[in-house]
Amino acid sequence: MIELLYDIPILGFLFQFVGYLIEVLPIIAPTIIGAATPIALGAMCGFMNERSGVVNIGIEGMMLTAAFVAWWVASLTAQVLPGDPIGPMGMSPALLVGLVAAIAAAMLVSLVHAWLSITVRADQIISGVIINIFAVGITGYLNLLISRSAPPSAGQFRAWDAPAFLADIPVVGWLFDALLSQGPIGLSLLVAVIVMQVLLFRSRWGLRTRAVGEHPEAAETVGIDVIALRYRNVILGGVFAGLAGAYLTIEFGNSFQGEMTNGRGFIALAALIFGRWTPLGSFGAALLFTASEGIQRAVRFGPPEGALGDFLSSVPSQFYSALPYLITIIILAGVVGRSIAPAADGRPYSREKREKRAKASA
Amino acid sequence: MRKHSSVAILAILATLALVISACTSPSPGASGSAATANGLCRPIGDATAEETEAPETAPPGSSDLKIGLVTDVGTLDDRNFNQYSWEGALRGAAIVGAAEPQSIVTTESSEYENNIQSFVDEDYDIIVTVGFALGEATLAAAEENPDIHFIGVDQFQAGDDPVAGAGLDNYESLIFNEAQAGYLAGIVAASISESGEIAAIGGSGTIPPVVNYMRGYENGAKSVNPDATVHLKYISDDLAVAFNDPTAGKTFADQFIQQNADVDVLFQVAGKTGNGVLQSVTDAGIYGIGVDVDQWLSNPDSAECTVTSAEKKLTLAVSEGIAAVGDDSPRAGNVFYGADNDGIGLAPFYQFADLIDAETQSAIDEALASMASGDLDPCQPSGLCYAGEADPGT
Repeated sequence: MIELLYDIPILGFLFQFVGYLIEVLPIIAPTIIGAATPIALGAMCGFMNERSGVVNIGIEGMMLTAAFVAWWVASLTAQVLPGDPIGPMGMSPALLVGLVAAIAAAMLVSLVHAWLSITVRADQIISGVIINIFAVGITGYLNLLISRSAPPSAGQFRAWDAPAFLADIPVVGWLFDALLSQGPIGLSLLVAVIVMQVLLFRSRWGLRTRAVGEHPEAAETVGIDVIALRYRNVILGGVFAGLAGAYLTIEFGNSFQGEMTNGRGFIALAALIFGRWTPLGSFGAALLFTASEGIQRAVRFGPPEGALGDFLSSVPSQFYSALPYLITIIILAGVVGRSIAPAADGRPYSREKREKRAKASA
Repeated sequence: MRKHSSVAILAILATLALVISACTSPSPGASGSAATANGLCRPIGDATAEETEAPETAPPGSSDLKIGLVTDVGTLDDRNFNQYSWEGALRGAAIVGAAEPQSIVTTESSEYENNIQSFVDEDYDIIVTVGFALGEATLAAAEENPDIHFIGVDQFQAGDDPVAGAGLDNYESLIFNEAQAGYLAGIVAASISESGEIAAIGGSGTIPPVVNYMRGYENGAKSVNPDATVHLKYISDDLAVAFNDPTAGKTFADQFIQQNADVDVLFQVAGKTGNGVLQSVTDAGIYGIGVDVDQWLSNPDSAECTVTSAEKKLTLAVSEGIAAVGDDSPRAGNVFYGADNDGIGLAPFYQFADLIDAETQSAIDEALASMASGDLDPCQPSGLCYAGEADPGT
């Protein structure tokens, strides 16, 4: 029966491809999700910023700072507070302290970004660029200093042993299993995506955030403190950047290297745009980006048989890597379902200006 | 109410870890502890590093040579190429009795010329440049500054004569026979593999040393087990991903191991990206083989699964180059380091020493001897060492 479908000219090719995906996706799903997690967390940081009208291209730098702090603080703590995990998933005191420190560090950097772009009303792009350049320099320098007496790493969080029945669910069991067989940071992303999606569209906070991001003047007239809300959201966004960085050095990996974020903070911005500035959308976009890479690798590690395998193997690997960004460009250009940024995104809010304008019109 | 919702967001995020911990039972396995090695891996136990013999040094200040080193993109502490070349510069300076060398760490490949030029402007006498990628910039600088001695690590000089290279008196290139080192690693891999299926993961098929390692590995493995399945995979042509991104390396190797579950030995040829590959090896509990330097030492997080490393003796080669200048007999052209002058080799096996039986050890010794005498070409029989074109990426 299936062979019959495969034999249809051209269309059969597509069926074969779907068949191949069904075969490999369950195997490669953990890798795809693992690679998507830091990108999705970075996008969540961007979401918190941009929905309230602050452009943040400094996510990369915030992630890098957090990655370094998580690794460094955890390995320092491990020397003072050695010991076995006190909780599940390999939660040792050192790793938890490292995680908290990473979040605090990213919130601190976010505070700087907030101050520059909200209070000082500096160019938000420049503020982000400064953060990126500064993070590369400071983490590289500190890493150079401490690596001479390289402390052993504190290890990493372990994946949760998801209940076995999950994997037995027909058809989609592998997806649940792969999503839930993650460490604490990976799991908190899942919860955060759902919670933030609901909060954005179903809560007072969400309504106000959207109002401030779209039309801060109008929001202010109904009594919303635009400045305070922006500050709060930008700093809370730092929590996600902190988790993203910590994920790289104390959950997915266990070591720090200079510039190890390698553009993931920028890919996070692409995911945010692709996902139309929603948590669920950007998580999906991040998954799509890394799935494209994952399928490219799958084809190289074990291509499907027959003509389809020959075809997929002949496509240059660069094409697969570029595919998500091609789609992002197409979406930005408005060809397929336009993605529109919050109207006040990147526009510093000035209370005096609003008052002046109000006077002028009066 | 407004306050309330923001507190709620923070609370959800901060306490999530605790919520999860309340509804699961503690899982066994301490993180990163050496006592719980996975699968084929073994606790490090009592294995320790051998002391390296300190070279004979001249009293500090006995030479006024100014030595500078320009790294490739990365850091001075990469536990790899840059770091061991730097240690070679330090040792060379100690041998000749010069002041401590200075370094410039390159952060973008566009900075090579400028970084070399900064040492030229400061009237340095010896400039060491680390890595294949700095070859062009170093050659140009050497042509312009005949009074400065340039030492290029891994920079093959093309020319009519393979030894004279570019024919400059003030530019020596340290060339390591990666294929020979890879060959030795291949012998080890095929011998310790139980499934007969082994693999090597390289950074990029466009970088000649990487391709040579991989091909030598394949040939070495086939020499002890002609039926072995040898997978050779390259991560990316984007050099930042290929050599400076451990997260990408782990993702790549994780998926490779998931799709090729029978592979039980993995050789990494991908710099810092490769540290992620070794981590993946450690998670999967299979044997890993390091590259360029003794990664059992340089990458302790994966030491329990690192059987050995295919080593280039970078520190030795750079220090010899500097010492030769100190003796007023600077070398020039391509200076080859291989099996014949201890320029390549295998790192110690540490806790895996008993895995290497007499047969394997004699295969290694024989291969070393025949490569030193020139009877054995590590690029044969496949004949596919780097020949001017990128490896298509198998």
